[in-house]
Amino acid sequence: MDVSQYLEIFIDETNGHLQNLSDCIMSLEKEPENMDTINEIFRAAHSLKGMAGTMGFKRMQRLTHDMENVFQEVRSGNMNVTSGLVDVLFQCLDAIDAYLENVKESSDEGTEDNEAIIQELNDILAAGTGNAPKTEEKPVPKEEKDPVENRFQKKYLDIDFSEKEKEELRVSEEKGMKLYGITVYIQEDCLLKAARAFLVFKAVEDFGNILVYSPSSQDIEDEKFGFDFSFYVASEAELDRMLEVAKAVSEIEEVIGEKVNYKELTAAAAKKEEEEAAAAKEAEKAQKEEHAGAAQAPAAAAQAKPQAPAAKKQNGGKPVTNRTVRVDIEKLDALMNQVSELIIAKNSLVSIGSTSDGGSSSNSQAFHEQIEYLERITTGLHESVMKVRMVPIESVVQKFPRMIRDLSKKLDKKMELYMTGEDTELDRTVVDQIGDPLQHLLRNSADHGLENAELRRKRGKPETGSIHLNAFQEGNNVIIEVSDDGNGIDTESVKSKAIERGLITPEQGAVLSQKEIIDFLFMPSFSMAKQISDVSGRGVGLDVVKSNIEALGGDVEVKSVLGEGSKFIVRLPLTLAIIQALMVEVRHEKYAISLGSIETIEEIMADEIKFVQAKEVIHIRGMVIPLIRLDQLLDCEPAEEEKESLTVIIVRKGDKFAGLIVDELNGQQEIVIKSLGKYINNSTKIISGATVLGDGEVALILDVNTLF
Amino acid sequence: MANNMSVAEGQKQFIVVKIGSEQYGIDISYVDNIVRMQKITRVPKAQSYFKGIINLRGEIVPVMSIRTKMDLEPDVFTDVTRIIILKLEEHGVLGLIVDEVKEVVTLGPDEIDKVAYDAKNSKSNFINGVGKHGEELISLFDTNSIIDESENA
Repeated sequence: MDVSQYLEIFIDETNGHLQNLSDCIMSLEKEPENMDTINEIFRAAHSLKGMAGTMGFKRMQRLTHDMENVFQEVRSGNMNVTSGLVDVLFQCLDAIDAYLENVKESSDEGTEDNEAIIQELNDILAAGTGNAPKTEEKPVPKEEKDPVENRFQKKYLDIDFSEKEKEELRVSEEKGMKLYGITVYIQEDCLLKAARAFLVFKAVEDFGNILVYSPSSQDIEDEKFGFDFSFYVASEAELDRMLEVAKAVSEIEEVIGEKVNYKELTAAAAKKEEEEAAAAKEAEKAQKEEHAGAAQAPAAAAQAKPQAPAAKKQNGGKPVTNRTVRVDIEKLDALMNQVSELIIAKNSLVSIGSTSDGGSSSNSQAFHEQIEYLERITTGLHESVMKVRMVPIESVVQKFPRMIRDLSKKLDKKMELYMTGEDTELDRTVVDQIGDPLQHLLRNSADHGLENAELRRKRGKPETGSIHLNAFQEGNNVIIEVSDDGNGIDTESVKSKAIERGLITPEQGAVLSQKEIIDFLFMPSFSMAKQISDVSGRGVGLDVVKSNIEALGGDVEVKSVLGEGSKFIVRLPLTLAIIQALMVEVRHEKYAISLGSIETIEEIMADEIKFVQAKEVIHIRGMVIPLIRLDQLLDCEPAEEEKESLTVIIVRKGDKFAGLIVDELNGQQEIVIKSLGKYINNSTKIISGATVLGDGEVALILDVNTLF
Repeated sequence: MANNMSVAEGQKQFIVVKIGSEQYGIDISYVDNIVRMQKITRVPKAQSYFKGIINLRGEIVPVMSIRTKMDLEPDVFTDVTRIIILKLEEHGVLGLIVDEVKEVVTLGPDEIDKVAYDAKNSKSNFINGVGKHGEELISLFDTNSIIDESENA
């Protein structure tokens, strides 16, 4: 059976159920009596079992089946939720997750039987219910077999035929084939309806050709149908055989069908058209009810049934979900590139428009209007494309509560994770890569940050440590903060460690600022842990966090108060490809500075520059801001003479400021970021990329975050 | 393109360029394009042999001065100066400044002499053969060593 085309849906939905299960089990641990949660878990486990069964993943099915068994008992009040059970359940989830990973990689669940877990489940089941473990036990899942016969209507009689379909039916009959009308009802808890339908079609097609689908085969493939579908098949085989094979597909509730002939069908259809034109709705409804009672009613009568109720049922049957399309990220990248090209082209028009004064003034007026129009469109287009690429960080952070729970057990510390801003959106590529660094920061907080319960009590802190993960947007950046109320970073011990490792001399250590000391933690293989645990302490960590985040164009900052806790602040760019930038000139070279980091622009007099510790600063509105001369920083030719008045761009990173001295301002522009490529050595990272200006010239993009 | 019909088995085509007084050959299968000299945007803090970057139809292409890399006197830009755009798999595109582009030659295996590797002479490290074309000798660039990171300034 070819079910590979449903693999993606399967993986997606299994992921969803796993996450759901994980959340539920977490809350179950807190409130073991909550019936809603138990029911939810039961449902999720049942769905997982069903889906695994459909796809032919026997081991996964078996495991979920046993989970379901346990919950069957819990649900019916025969046993209680214990923390042992919760642990085993989490093991189950991990095992299922492992199966899923295998499926993702090789379309096969792998060969791990997880006998141990199954055994434990059964033991718990046995202990909980007082029964000996029964391997054959099967709590028949919701078999609501009170067949209301008239629920199954011969919907195939309601199909409107197109001319082409009529023709096909007629030709087939003329060829001596028998025509059968068949309606299939799928169980209402079926998850992969389209897969079921596909299997039914496949089975039936062994006997003959399916001529007419209702809903259309495309709709069926897209799951745009309720819990039934109808079709006409031309075949030489007997009807019973076909009904049998169709029913043999699992999760099919009922299949009904009969032999039809072309004449009756078309006559009925014609009659129906007439009736529809004439008859009032009331009359039709009455007729429908009449029809519903009589299972074997003649075809013609059935035709009178209005389409509306059926359609209504379909809408009601399908859960309301957002209409989405899966798109390969590469296609989005291509789209993004094209939008980028468009923006470059627009910028050239803008620059032609501003330089050329040729043509009559009315012409140029119209030209400018059109350029402005084009500008609005490209900006809108850019925003839309960016939005398409944005996904909430939820998908990454939702696994963290579980992780903290496990760590809490492993480290034997009580801790709680509080998350806010899970709906903060980031570019897809960023979201994909932010998981590991965040996970590391959380582990770091749990292991190094939080003290053990005894010490916490002594310090007058609540016994349960808290870790916060807050995400929010700030200008063009998204900030993710990981903070804990633990010990904080002991800068003195970091310093002595650095001295011990020969990174600095004691004299150098004496003058280091707190920030400089904390920066040691981000150095490769610098671990503060006294013992290596499997949680952390191998010194592979914060440096990787830092480099990962920097690779995404972001940065990490640490704030820490000894004894009160630390806070890691991860700053990430909202977009990767296109930014609003201020264009500046330094010695006739053009540079772009992201508007997001610019605070203000000041004109100052050369004699306003003061010196603090032999460094140039300005004193402006109560703040002392260090000055950076871009021409010196960027190795430009020195200017012939100092200017009287200087243009200073005040940039900001977190709560730090710096003033950049530039020669000229060229206004603000939307720029497309292009990489410099791998050849050019850019170890200082001052230049974060380049962009093509409207006139074809290249300008470099300054990353001011590296200047602090 | 390397298997061009006009190129017989074992033969290779080279673009012959002039750098200083010498003639060099660049394997044509690596050449994406040849463009005229244009404004090169300097990149601060880059290696000295990188002149900067240019805009090639919306793409940013780094441009290398092969003269600086080979320790020759600095480039003098004339109206026959060209930038050869090399396309190297994995590494992307790269521009090389040459004094002049002469012609395309086809060399057979027997027309190419291998040169001995001389670790002391960094200049010869970029050459992996000498081609004989009629009366003229053509030093054949080893494209991969050109992009090697080692600084020879």
